[in-house]
Amino acid sequence: MTAPPCGLLPATAAARPPGPVLRAVLAPVLALALVLGLAGCGPGEDVADDPDTLRILAGSEVKDLEPMLARSGVKVKISYTGTLDGAEQVAGGSADGEYDAVWFSSNRYLSLIDGASARLSTQTKIMVSPVLLGLSGAKARELGWQDGKATWKQIATAAREGKFTFGMANPASSNSGFSALVGVAAALSDAGEALDAAQVSAVTPELKEFFSAQRLTAGSSGWLADVYARQGGVDGIVNYESVLLGMKDLTLVYPGDGVITADYPLTLLASAPPEKRELYGKLTAWLRTPDTQREIMTTTHRRPVVPEVRPGPEFGSAPLLELPFPNRRAAADQLITAYLDEARVPAHALFVLDTSGSMRGDRIEALREALVMLTGADRSASGTFSRFRSRETVTMVPFSDGVGTPRTFKLPEGDPGPVLEQIKGYAEGLDANGGTAIYDGLRAAYSESLRADPEHYTSVVLMTDGENTDGASFEDFRRLYEMLPADIRPRAFVVLFGESDVAEMNKVAELTGGAVFDARDSSLAAAFKEIRGYQ
Amino acid sequence: MKRGVMRRSIGIALALLLGAAVVVAVVLGNGAGGPTVVRGVIGSEKKPFFDDPRVRAAFEKHGLRVEVDTAGSRQIATEVDLDGYAFAFPSSVPAAEKIRKDRGVTRVFSPFYSPMAVATFEPIAGVLAEAGLVRDSGRGYQVLDVAAYMELVAKGTRWDELPGNTAYPARKRVLLTTTDVRTSNSAAMYLAMTSYVANGEDVVTAAGQVPEAAGKVAPVFLDQGYSQSSTEAPFEDYLVMGSGKTPMVIVYEAQYLSRLFARDGSITPEMRLLYPAPTVLSKHTLVPFTEQAGEVGRLLTEDPELRALAARHGFRTADPAAFTDLAAKTGAPIARDLVDVVEPPAYDRLEQLITTIERLYADGSVPQAEGGS
Repeated sequence: MTAPPCGLLPATAAARPPGPVLRAVLAPVLALALVLGLAGCGPGEDVADDPDTLRILAGSEVKDLEPMLARSGVKVKISYTGTLDGAEQVAGGSADGEYDAVWFSSNRYLSLIDGASARLSTQTKIMVSPVLLGLSGAKARELGWQDGKATWKQIATAAREGKFTFGMANPASSNSGFSALVGVAAALSDAGEALDAAQVSAVTPELKEFFSAQRLTAGSSGWLADVYARQGGVDGIVNYESVLLGMKDLTLVYPGDGVITADYPLTLLASAPPEKRELYGKLTAWLRTPDTQREIMTTTHRRPVVPEVRPGPEFGSAPLLELPFPNRRAAADQLITAYLDEARVPAHALFVLDTSGSMRGDRIEALREALVMLTGADRSASGTFSRFRSRETVTMVPFSDGVGTPRTFKLPEGDPGPVLEQIKGYAEGLDANGGTAIYDGLRAAYSESLRADPEHYTSVVLMTDGENTDGASFEDFRRLYEMLPADIRPRAFVVLFGESDVAEMNKVAELTGGAVFDARDSSLAAAFKEIRGYQ
Repeated sequence: MKRGVMRRSIGIALALLLGAAVVVAVVLGNGAGGPTVVRGVIGSEKKPFFDDPRVRAAFEKHGLRVEVDTAGSRQIATEVDLDGYAFAFPSSVPAAEKIRKDRGVTRVFSPFYSPMAVATFEPIAGVLAEAGLVRDSGRGYQVLDVAAYMELVAKGTRWDELPGNTAYPARKRVLLTTTDVRTSNSAAMYLAMTSYVANGEDVVTAAGQVPEAAGKVAPVFLDQGYSQSSTEAPFEDYLVMGSGKTPMVIVYEAQYLSRLFARDGSITPEMRLLYPAPTVLSKHTLVPFTEQAGEVGRLLTEDPELRALAARHGFRTADPAAFTDLAAKTGAPIARDLVDVVEPPAYDRLEQLITTIERLYADGSVPQAEGGS
């Protein structure tokens, strides 16, 4: 029931070519190390049109419904993308003609973007699920919330006092994270109406206290749930009720001061031609028949949206208070900015970069560009949110025959501009020469991570375009990794590029609890941007 | 295709789909002598009516097949390219008037209407009564005092600040849920009644009255935060998610009554229908561009079967008995006659009010209510 992000694949499938591989996504058991096949995302994909097929651009959150759609009688082709990326595609018009409909967990942020509403036609809600806190049964009892009753205020107090830790998806890349952020901010600000810019500023110190307990972040709600289910490491996670209900030994906390609910509107694009409108009408009508609604409820734990089908007992009987959602983009963006720059535990991102001879030419240029994009060159909203942020530490560990000199950049609390310039200069100066000592590079990064500020959220990115040719082996790295204290060793997020050794790269991700992102058939910049959600 | 295509598609919802299968069944065997297709663009709240197989069959008897696309009434009047349609059927007189003038149409039809109403829940109606907002009309139904409500909004009052409120002790503000006034007719009708109150119990008729009235009513829209674009959406939230999300919502009376008359179980015993005082009538007005469309308008107005069906869908028609009989059978407190009804402003004034509020959305400088937070 947990849906992985765009193009996320089980690790075992990664060696196969990207096209057919995408179909392997629904393998019943997801390996912990996952591959992001970016080739399957976004407008770059070749979506062949066919008058009988409804082409849908969707968020990964609805992936679990795809098998059910086969019985709708409407041929459907779904392409998955991140919430914010998708919103930008729709608002900017690049979804027009490529897709006939969009299906995200919410249209609220999308509707705030100038020009977006004019690109949307009929919106049909398919199901609903509020964003809640799920805590381990033991922790819930310890905090006295075993009946599921607590307010965001009480949760924030417990967080401030260090009484529990939690994981949450990044609000800039995932709707569940963004919904939770809006909910927490609205509840803590004690504003009775929708938040505006002034209220966001005022509530930021309290947000900071709340998020001091966040010890796990993720680019998607699906990955977050998988990692928590397999490794724990935190006392609970913030996620959709539907995801939490599908997990074992969790107590769902329904915040009494309100929630934000996802309503999954299947939305026709205004650009869709008449024959596609007809398909859309058939599909939405089928999805809202009582039988389908009941099936969605029982198999995915989402609440029904038609009055004929009443929610089952698993959802409880207490009415959920819905908090007001901002109606201006400036307030929404300011909230995300406040989270990234002030409220969240700051990130320490270590980049282990292949600068071997095989990277020469286009590849090193692609790497330079991908890093420069993270210094603010990508001016889209998603680009701005994914750039290096204030308070963040960035360490570059280049390798070729051996390990180059690691270089650390500390972005200050205020204006990050000058340090972003330095990182940009560093990236532009990268050169390619010599062999490929992947594990020397990785070992250097993990040694470096020991010196990381414990008040930062540390993670490693490994980017390489080939097989290990010099220095330490994977086993050498494993030995070092296993010697490190379990509570501080970072996850490694691996980018496949060029002729990466897929099997071994999967082992790195698996060992460290990270994920694999496939940039072999798409841009390195897109992979780096996606990884930012996990840092 | 013309340049207008892009604009025409704005906000248009395809409406014929559900009905399509039915039509095929009905038409099959008719051969070449089948019914004449008349295509119109209508407000979304009338779609269930036109999709109703009984309605389609009634038109069929007169050799007509009516196909409809849906769009917001404001969009029908301004953005939709009407060249592709035989008629427009917006949900309000101001929008219809604009279209009539633009297209040089002489005869329009107003076959049915529906007052704006408030759908809420019994415990909340009780809390509002205690606070002096809801009172008995003395005529068998309850009314919501719009002026008192606006005062409460101006003060930024929250639910848990209402005296003696134990039924709904939420921290959030007391605000009626509406759709987005920039796109939706039901919100525009709500704007008509609130601007009447804000303008000193008078319809906004002069441009000079607009800034002050718009400034006074803006918080009832903007303070809600995000609002949905079509009238069905918040009403559905009310039916499905209950008072947590939507304690009280502005609806067309017909939306609520069609559910009640259908006895489909969606209106639970706790649900209540209130009438704002003053309220506004949403007069569904058909503007025909062709002769056949004129026939559609005439049939809707005069054909007893179609009138009866309109009543079943909760609309009030020229035959009040059909409506009152249905209403009486439910035993629900439904107003037979409404006394406190005001006229909406003329098209231009209403449009000015909306654009003034639209600017407040854009620049973010909403006059925040005093107190409260």
